[in-house]
Amino acid sequence: MSQGKRFSDEFLNAFVDNQLAPEEKSRAFVEISQDECLNRQVCELRKMHDLVQHAYREPPAPPASGISARDRLRINLRFGAVASVLLVLGIVVGREIRLPAPDLQPLSARSVPTDDTDVVGTYQAVPPAATRVNAAESKQPRVLIHVAHDNTAELSQALDDIEGLLTYYRNKHQSARVEVVLNGKGLRLVRADTSKFAGRIAQLQKEYKNLTFAACQNTIDRLKREQGVIVRLLPGVTVIDSGMAEIMRRQNQGWTYLQV
Amino acid sequence: MNRMDILDFFLRTREAQRALQQARSRLYRVAYAWCHSPALADDLVQETLTKALQKSSQLRDPKARDAWLFTILANCYRDHFRRSRDMEDVDELELSLETTPETESSRAQIVTKVRAAIARLPEGQRQVVTLVDLEGFSYIEVAQILDVPIGTVMSRLCRARNAMKAILLPEFQQNPEAAARGIRRIK
Repeated sequence: MSQGKRFSDEFLNAFVDNQLAPEEKSRAFVEISQDECLNRQVCELRKMHDLVQHAYREPPAPPASGISARDRLRINLRFGAVASVLLVLGIVVGREIRLPAPDLQPLSARSVPTDDTDVVGTYQAVPPAATRVNAAESKQPRVLIHVAHDNTAELSQALDDIEGLLTYYRNKHQSARVEVVLNGKGLRLVRADTSKFAGRIAQLQKEYKNLTFAACQNTIDRLKREQGVIVRLLPGVTVIDSGMAEIMRRQNQGWTYLQV
Repeated sequence: MNRMDILDFFLRTREAQRALQQARSRLYRVAYAWCHSPALADDLVQETLTKALQKSSQLRDPKARDAWLFTILANCYRDHFRRSRDMEDVDELELSLETTPETESSRAQIVTKVRAAIARLPEGQRQVVTLVDLEGFSYIEVAQILDVPIGTVMSRLCRARNAMKAILLPEFQQNPEAAARGIRRIK
């Protein structure tokens, strides 16, 4: 027994579990082999170790059948969810990217003047960035102003209103877009030979890059066909295929429609 | 990232998943030894593997994967009992011992008795003794897994084995006598 006291229970456990340093283990081997009491203690500890291993060699099967299938299902569901999110994200991003396409269509129409239309100034084959729509700009205020008559007093008032609108947005540091669509009699406002506000329009265009004047190609064609008038437009005025079609397109894109 | 990188990434992911699946049975065995409930052990292993998949990037050294997995299991086990205070009484878990039919094989009797003895141990001792005996973890690894000092591991193991000896040795000292009597009768 006196020998048995030489080693603590923790030491004997460490010996059984092979947790001792080599020199300690060698010393313990010698001591244990010479002491029956120590030997019995170690035997009992080994027996406990073996019994625990024996008791859990075959634990009862989990209640649900096919654990691995469940696990696989969870993993698959996880990947499925990620894939679904990516798919939806792709669709949304795809739609956002596709949005400008209908907007660009009229621009191409503007860039192709008809042969018999004599236009003063330059066409904006690719209009400034202000005419392009992207996802970030979709939130900006966009106003379409429709001018279809040539009442001088009202046109003057309309130009004042347009300038007021542009000033308002500028003061609010909002990058608004304003497009003035001219068809029918309204075309006279931007015809070089008939406009009484050429100077005013030039000044507005110079000051506000986000302002566009768009003349209707159908009206230009009709003037030539019916009255033999070769329309000459003011500088910086773009041409669109159809005033009515442009109004509908812009409204579909969420533009605010105002008629003078 | 070129195509080979992507392929390599998926292969590694598949390899990691296969390794986790292989670890499942070992995790389940230890989880069952801790709670003695197949359903709860299964849930704990599910939770452990799910967390392991989520945190697989945290595992820097693949050699330490076993200890890492059992650390997650120990955390899940601790969290489970933190969540549900109204856990089953350990005394109720070892009722199977009393319902063992007399005709049951001696092997099954031993298994039931040892499990009952382990179920009676305090939780900390039960965890230490099963990690050391079933998985062969070193004392240092067990200390890391359970987040306790190594001295605590050693003292818990010592107390656990002493308690088991006190319960089991008398049982097995009686049995050899009975067996010997049986053998004598056959002769």
